[in-house]
Order: sequence, then structure tokens, then C-alpha cells
Amino acid sequence: MNFKQLAENRHEYAKAWKARTGGQVLGYYDPYFPEELAYAAGMLPVRILARHEPDDVSTKWIYASCYPVRDYVNQFFNGRYGYLDGIVDTGGCEWVYNAFEVAMNTTPSLKTHYIFIPRYPNAPTSPGLVVSELKTMKKVFEEWTGREITDESLDHAIEVYNKNRLLLMRISELRRAYETPLFGSEAMQMLLADQVMDKAEMNAILESFLAELQERPPREDRVRLMIIGSETWDAELEELVESLGANVVIDELDNGTSYFWNTIYEQKDRLLAIALRYLGRPHSALRDNNWRRRSQHVFELAEDYMADGVLIVKQIYCVIHGTDNYAMWKLLRERNIPYHFFERDTSLPEDETRQRLESFINMLKPGLVRLRGWHEPLVI
Amino acid sequence: MEQEYWKWPESSWTSKEIDWKSAKAVTAGVDVGTTGTQAAIMCDEKLFGYANIHTGGSFKKSAKIAVEKAMGASGMALTDIRGIMGTGAGGRNVEFAGGFMDGVRCQGRGARFLYGPEVHTVVDLGGQSCTAIRLYDWDRVWDFMMNDKCATGIGRNIEFMCDMLQVPIQEIGPMSLEVETDPEPVATSCYCFADTETMGLFGRPEYRSAPLTENEVYAKYLFAVAWRCLSTIGKLQPMDVGDIRIHYPELGFTGGLAKNPGITKRIERELKITALTSEYDPQLAGAIGAALLAPAETDRRQRQ
Repeated sequence: MNFKQLAENRHEYAKAWKARTGGQVLGYYDPYFPEELAYAAGMLPVRILARHEPDDVSTKWIYASCYPVRDYVNQFFNGRYGYLDGIVDTGGCEWVYNAFEVAMNTTPSLKTHYIFIPRYPNAPTSPGLVVSELKTMKKVFEEWTGREITDESLDHAIEVYNKNRLLLMRISELRRAYETPLFGSEAMQMLLADQVMDKAEMNAILESFLAELQERPPREDRVRLMIIGSETWDAELEELVESLGANVVIDELDNGTSYFWNTIYEQKDRLLAIALRYLGRPHSALRDNNWRRRSQHVFELAEDYMADGVLIVKQIYCVIHGTDNYAMWKLLRERNIPYHFFERDTSLPEDETRQRLESFINMLKPGLVRLRGWHEPLVI
Repeated sequence: MEQEYWKWPESSWTSKEIDWKSAKAVTAGVDVGTTGTQAAIMCDEKLFGYANIHTGGSFKKSAKIAVEKAMGASGMALTDIRGIMGTGAGGRNVEFAGGFMDGVRCQGRGARFLYGPEVHTVVDLGGQSCTAIRLYDWDRVWDFMMNDKCATGIGRNIEFMCDMLQVPIQEIGPMSLEVETDPEPVATSCYCFADTETMGLFGRPEYRSAPLTENEVYAKYLFAVAWRCLSTIGKLQPMDVGDIRIHYPELGFTGGLAKNPGITKRIERELKITALTSEYDPQLAGAIGAALLAPAETDRRQRQ
């Protein structure tokens, strides 16, 4: 399955989907956007992804932000997302909100909506607050599409999305095994494609991919790495890791495994069920404040997927992960898990990154140097 | 000819005492860095010859010249060397090498040779990178940290500034230490800021309440460089031995900037330690480490 191609052809796909179904395409930035509601309204929710291209217009509108956010603006003005009927922002970081504002202020024809997702997902008042926000959003979507969002359509959307999450989880489980048949780059491309496609179509693709994976011969075992930090919009880092004889077996990225990690438990109040799913998902760094859960989740992933080491990769100027990384260091130090921290841009400086990755992988490689860290006692 | 202030002296040496023909293992390491290339030849793990030259326009040629200089007039040929290992930013371009090993591991192994078993933290002050390495066991890497986007703490920046300030690169360090009290550093966030602020300190002294002497300017500048290196060292994972947490165990400097006391002394002062010293040139650590790792690595690859 060529997921890379699916992710790269996302604009053509969305345009074709629109022509085929006559539906509306809705862009969103943040993983807290409850896609089920848009899907129930007959819209195609697509994640706005950054891409590598020269930035020639964004500086006039936005500056001093991370490159991906500037690239959102750049792509928007260069007409890459001309097919979008609307954009929703869910109160991600302030820089993303700036990109949303630029889109809102410069294109009056674009339908826009802001949904507030609280910064404290585990606060007792948060579910009620999100439900009221969802009620408003439901009305907005009904107005935009002229179509009522019924309980049946919500149930259908929840079913499709839950199936998608289950399939992704089953594929992810295969990465836990030694000699896993799935490489990290392929898994990341699959997740990127998943976020820009109609979930019903994607489910069919994932089902056949899962069957294909069961038949794949096991690959030789490699140094197993985990990636945490800022979101990425490509699999360049994973590919580089693979070229150096290692494999990314798990990640804790907002557009990685955190995208599908938990599911919606159906209940009579559909909106509450959706609200609880999004509030209960693995915390993003932005929303991991008073009720800190992210560090425990990272540790559990590292343990379950038997990661030999962790790469903490931060986008330059990413404020959220710039402050959050220190909490991650603390956790990993306490648990004696080897890690390496570095900063990257949307494009990856290949040679410099190769040098540091090579050193880190060699540090962990059994046979070259003894596997050290949390598996064995330390000898000095 | 106009003086080139940035140019550090090249060197080479070949032992006359060691008979390489009777040695059981002759190995070589070539560390092709972005500004300097070093070659080291080891006979039974003893240093037989070395060369330390400026990296020219071609990594390949620089590596070849360095090894030839290290072999000197000993009569040794490349075919007499059992294992040759390349390392450094351009280490993959060493055509005659049998393998390549990453710089962190080579610097760590070389530092053990230079400073003995005491060294646990190695700070490689290179031409385009500052790497802090923490070792355990004999030469195993516990953790390492490299500088990210900032170039203040790197050798090429010092070369550039020596040209701008018109002070020889070997002298700027000792001169910066000739101050009564160390002034605050210039900007540490980016080399552009550090360099421009430093140059600005010379401008219009009549507008300054207390004009700075040249040495004080050098001190402010090199303190900023040391500060950047300190932030890299500070990110290293501490080691726990029982209940004792070792933050800055015995430290050794490697790389070209290790020969600049204006930087190393300031790092030592801030960490409240005295760095280890060696009879060898600290710039050779990478090449020596590569040469020492060459036989094991060659054997391992042959087994595969």
C-alpha cells in the first residue's frame, strides 16, 4: 500500500471527493477537533498539514512563529487549500490561532468556526463545557450544510471512526513485536494519509493493509526507537533512522499514535460520548497542565513497545514543546531511559541529523556497545 | 602578505623509537572535521604518528594528506595498516578507510587514551559543533548532547572573530584571561548577536561611561562562547551511583578549542572543577579513538 502517495496527493483526493459527492470539505489544524460531527453532517474533515516548499508570502502576515504555522498561511495564500469550504480551530497553540485568523480575515467567503476545548481536560467542568460547545458546533454545521445531524448519522459517524481507530490500533500492535514487519516510516505515512481521507474509504484500505501485513515476512530486529515531541508532517526522520539500521517502533505525537489511541464509548448522549473521547485522549503537551498524564503515557508506551531509546524532537520555535520537553527529560532521567533531544525545522537538516542519530543509535546498539540503560544495572 | 589571524598552526609527528614493522597491529584513524583534519597511526595501541592539518576544499584529499604526513618518512605504506577508520563530519569520504564510526564514540575512546580511566565527561569543542559526552565502563557512551542551531560555541566562529578582531587565534585566549574581574558575557543566544555585540564594544568609546580594554572585550566574547558550551554540558544526563548523583565528574576537553584557555578556564570556573590534562594534542582525540576502534570494528564487520 503506498500511503506516501495517498498523503502527498491529498489535495487531488479532496477535490475528487468533492466533485464525486458534492459535499463540503472542512479543514482543521488541531487533533482535538471532533471530526465525527463534521462527518455526520456529510462533510469531509481534512487535517491541514505543513509541507516543504519555499515560503514567499507568509512573512507579511505572520512571523516569529514555528515554520509549520507559517507554512499553513503560505499554502493558504498560494491556493493549495482553495477547495476548502470551511476551517475550524479548536484552540490549539496561539500560533495556529494566528494562522486561523489570517484565513478568517482575508477570505470572507470561507466558513469559519472556533470551538473552545479547555486547557484542563480533566477538570470536572470540562465535559459539560465541551458538550455545550459541541451543541453550538452542531447547529453551525447544520446551517452550513442545510442538513440535520440526526442521532442515526452521529451513530454512523462514531461507528466509522471507531472502526478506523481499531484498525489503526491493530496495525500498531504489530509494531510491538520483535522483528516487526512494519517500519516506522510506513506507519507514519499511513497515519498522515488517514487524517486527510474519508474514513470509510480508509477503513477498506486499512483492512487490506492489515491482511497484507499478516503475510509479510518478519524483518530483522533493529535498535528500537520512540519519537516524542512536536508534530511532524512527513516520515523523513523515520526514513533516516531506518537508513541507519534502526526502526521507530512507536511515537507519542499528536498526529501519530495519539490521533487514534482511545475510542468513543457509545452512550445515549452522543455529544457527551464524543466530548469524553476527545478529553480523554492522550494529552497533548498544550493540555497537559495540572492533571499531568502525558509523562506516564510516554513511559508506558516506551515500556510496552520495548523502546531502547527515545528521540525528543522539537520544532524550532515550538513554544508548547519547548516548555514541555523539560518535564519529559525529567521523566526519562528518573526511569533511566536513554534519550536524545534535538530541534528540527519542517525540513530535516539531513547531514547534521544523521551524525547525531548515528551516534545515538550506536550508543544503543547491542554488539557494538552493550545495551545499557533500563534493561541492565549500571556499572561505572 | 597580510596576516591570517584565524589560522592555527598545523603539526605532524612520526615516532623514531617505535619499530612499526615489529608491531602486532598497526591501525589508523582519520578524523575529517569541517575545519581541521587529523590522522593518527597506532602501533599496538601506542601513538606512532599523527598529523593535524586544515581541511581543504576536498575531504578526500585532506584525509590522504593527513595520513601521509602521519606516516612521515617511516617507510610505511597504506597497505601496511591493518585497519583504517574514518570519523567526523567528512569521515565517510576517506576512500582508503575500511569503515566509518560516529564522532561521539571516537571522541570518547580517544579521550580515554588521552586522559586515562578518570575521565567521565568529554567536551568536544569542534569546528562546527560542540558535543558533550558522558562515558561509563571503559569507553561506553552513557549520554551525549550536541549544540542545536546556535553556532556561538564553535571553532569556526572563533576563527572568524579572530580575523575580525585582528588578534592571532592562539593569543586571544590567554589575553582574555588578563583581566582583573571577568565581565559579563555578550549575547549568548546566537553567534550573529555575539559577534556584532563584540564588534560594537569597540565603537565610540566616548559614549561609554567605562570604556572596555581589548582584553575585557575578548573576555566578554569568550565567556559567551564558554556559556554556550556550558548549556550543552548542562543538558547531559547525570549519572546515579547508588544514592550519589554525579553531575560533573572528571572532565576532559578535546577538539581545537580545547587549546583555548579563554574558553576552557571559564568552563572550569563555572563548573568548579579542574579539567584533566594530557601530554597529547587534544585535537587528536577523534583520530586516536578511531584508530583504537579500527581493529575491533574491522573484525566485527568481517564476521558479519
